[in-house]
Amino acid sequence: MAAAEAGILTMGDTRRVTPWVNLTRSADGRIVARSPPLVTRASSMPQTTIYVSPRSLGAFDTPPPAVVTAELARLFAGYPALAGVSLRVDRGRAIALLGPNGAGKTTLLRILATAIAPSFGRAEVDGLDIVRHPELVRPRVAYLSHATGLYEDLTGAENLAFAATMLGLASPEAEERRAIVLAEVGLEPVAGQRVRAYSAGMRRRLALGRLILAGPSLILLDEPYASLDTEGMQLVDRLLGAWREVGATVLVASHAVERLLDVVDGTVHLEAGIVARIEGVGVTESQPAAGFGEPVTAGAA
Amino acid sequence: MSTLRTEARVALAIARKDALSELRGRHATVSTLFFAALVLLLFGFALGPDSRRLTEAAPGLLWLAIVFAGLLAVGRLHLVETDDGALEQLALYPIERRAIYAGKALAGSAVMLVLGGVLLPAVAILYGIDLARAVVPLVATLVLGTVGFAAVGTFYAGLTVRMRAREVMLPLLMLPVVAPLLLAAVQATAAALAGDPFGELAGWLQLLVVFDVVMIVAGAATYRFLLEE
Repeated sequence: MAAAEAGILTMGDTRRVTPWVNLTRSADGRIVARSPPLVTRASSMPQTTIYVSPRSLGAFDTPPPAVVTAELARLFAGYPALAGVSLRVDRGRAIALLGPNGAGKTTLLRILATAIAPSFGRAEVDGLDIVRHPELVRPRVAYLSHATGLYEDLTGAENLAFAATMLGLASPEAEERRAIVLAEVGLEPVAGQRVRAYSAGMRRRLALGRLILAGPSLILLDEPYASLDTEGMQLVDRLLGAWREVGATVLVASHAVERLLDVVDGTVHLEAGIVARIEGVGVTESQPAAGFGEPVTAGAA
Repeated sequence: MSTLRTEARVALAIARKDALSELRGRHATVSTLFFAALVLLLFGFALGPDSRRLTEAAPGLLWLAIVFAGLLAVGRLHLVETDDGALEQLALYPIERRAIYAGKALAGSAVMLVLGGVLLPAVAILYGIDLARAVVPLVATLVLGTVGFAAVGTFYAGLTVRMRAREVMLPLLMLPVVAPLLLAAVQATAAALAGDPFGELAGWLQLLVVFDVVMIVAGAATYRFLLEE
């Protein structure tokens, strides 16, 4: 039980436990993160086999790192967008991915989000292999890409309700939470309007709302400040702080370097698909082949 | 049981979302209907004014119009997912792929049933056919035919949605697969309209049932591979 409360998958554990980032607004209008109560979601995934870092077996007080990659590479049409990235990101840290266009920031985020598979190398999220068990990784990861992933003919509220259903959040409390999220991202007055009528910034805010709703343990943000006004940028900053406060890990790729440096623990500079430089705390270069778990069948003796 | 309930809830939410998008983007549905009606009208011109000939050809022409309009409809249901990265987002939700397939196929069946429901009376008016004496078998044929078409169409629309030449590839890949369905649906419609003089209607309907079951099972089992990139 202690392991489940810590958000770690254990042998024989058939539940999926994800920290719920619980945000409320304080009297002075600031977003405040409360200590994360944990919710067990109804899962439609068969969970017969899980991959757990050896470190989490019998050593529940030392959970696996949030992210470990080893020689991670991805080719597009034969050209490497990512050419061997080995990183280890500690839990509860906010890490900025920096670098020029084509450095591999988006590709790295998309691989970790399980949107695309790596061509070579390995990656784990919370000790779970992203290629072997994407279905176990997905409930733990929320990804904000360049595109917002919204439906133009649905209203803002309907888009959020649809996302809630997909995330397995269909209870009356979840409905109340959707209203809170809409207020948090400043879209309450236009929640009944179709997204087709939203500006780019409003769409971005709604996509951020979907991330808050998901309550993941790993948040991947690709250019989160894009299209946002000053207030929207401050919203991103507040969310980054709130996520860190509740122990969620954030990887954020952006060209807004000055702004990011104030809100992250560490930075990874990518150039031409490889790690050029690592600064700050919470992220280190991983040793290839180290820190990866062996396959374990749930319930096995 | 709870897994099935969760999957059913996801599938219904996807179908509802697609239906809402279709209803609100009425121009697409209306233009598809006009396209199908135009196909029927042009076939009528091509066959000439001989009413007996038109009556004989009506079942085939009806199903050709449904197939052409259905190609546009099932393609569009996936195309809406390509707007602003919605397909990628849908694939990243922690849901079973077969629930996505079921939701899409359900929405496709609903749209095609509406199309068929409009085209059937249109055929009756254009080609002078009396539908009243065969309503039940015609509705059964329509339901089985459109469900089977949507089951195949959802799979191939998912397969081609990321292709550049998807408008060409969808019919090219799909039409050979739906040929048995087209044959059975046309024969069942013809038998129903003729009053089933040779008792062959049940056989064609059974063939449609088998086709639907096989395609739904195959589509649900393989759809997940289409979402991987």
